[in-house]
Amino acid sequence: MQPMHQILLKIGPAAFRIASAWRQPLEQLEALYRDYPVPPDDLVDFTVRLEPGKPWRRHIRPSVHIGGDFWLPDAAPLPLSQGLLAGEMGMNLQMALGWRRHLLLHASSVERDGEALVMTGLSGSGKSTLSAMLAQKGWRFMGDEFALLSIDSGDIEPFPRLISLKNQAIGAMEEVASAERFGPEMRGTPKGDIRHLVPPKSAIDRMEEPARPALLLFPRFGHAPALRDMGQSEIFVRLTQASTNYVALGEAGFCALTRFVDQVPARAMDYQSIEQAEELIESLWSERR
Amino acid sequence: MMTIKYRPAPEQDLIWHPLDSMTLLFHRPSGITHMLAEPAPAILQVMADAPLSAAEIAVRLTSAFDIDPDLETETIVQARLAELFDLGLVDRVPG
Repeated sequence: MQPMHQILLKIGPAAFRIASAWRQPLEQLEALYRDYPVPPDDLVDFTVRLEPGKPWRRHIRPSVHIGGDFWLPDAAPLPLSQGLLAGEMGMNLQMALGWRRHLLLHASSVERDGEALVMTGLSGSGKSTLSAMLAQKGWRFMGDEFALLSIDSGDIEPFPRLISLKNQAIGAMEEVASAERFGPEMRGTPKGDIRHLVPPKSAIDRMEEPARPALLLFPRFGHAPALRDMGQSEIFVRLTQASTNYVALGEAGFCALTRFVDQVPARAMDYQSIEQAEELIESLWSERR
Repeated sequence: MMTIKYRPAPEQDLIWHPLDSMTLLFHRPSGITHMLAEPAPAILQVMADAPLSAAEIAVRLTSAFDIDPDLETETIVQARLAELFDLGLVDRVPG
């Protein structure tokens, strides 16, 4: 068996070992996660493995197969130039399929005044871009992919991974964030053009600090600006769809999610520009509760 | 003729949670969350421990919710009971 290179990462409550047949993806991950701590005693929750699908694919047209503790049988391999994306997708996969300590919501989250704004929606809703933009405007970034809802306290725990910018969001963030925070731009990936952005230092320094959820938004990009009230039943159904482990958590997941729906006010928000979204969010935030 | 009677799933197997327009029912043995629209939650609530027929449940519903009894109520109750049976939320017992 060929030797594997590896790095260890601690992000919020989760610790990962990323093992790779190639150095390049790990060097990129190491550079982008340079300010993150290492897991205490080298103990990890999950291992991600980046390996060639076939032995000769290590050197000839190298392609990266994403494996690890949890994996999908039909996941297509990525070219080595997208090895960084493979590492990030591998970590997402471990969390989505294996994490049981929180209710996982596909959502971004930011914090201000000690309280969290949670934004959930389908891919393309802008939840990731909005969280990155708000983090440039005085909010603390807590995560752009998964919001971790504590089963015991009902708080949101930070999980500030690299921010995954797609397509037009790349240019928009390049105008406002400093160059050293960006990873390499990867064009033509299965998810379009991708460029990773390192979260602000404050997000990393405070990644052990949870926040009480105070507002839930369902953003939708590309429609005239509007806010819409939502019924609890609609909110509940959409959150079960946005959760990767609701069913696996059983009664604990049911209790955590019903409490969240009871306690956190929610709105659907349509918008056509970041400025519109910021204005709507500011008005909602100032009149929350 | 034997009448089919129904009894609800044991109380300790269920967690009720009302939402605005629907009622959530978490069924512990299966781990399934059910989202019920009226009159299904009302049917389960009027079923006491003793097994009841669809006709008896219809009578309890009409008196509990002060609606005029008619044949249609029993038909509706019968249809909902069949669905609740398929979901494992009520059981059938010989009358």
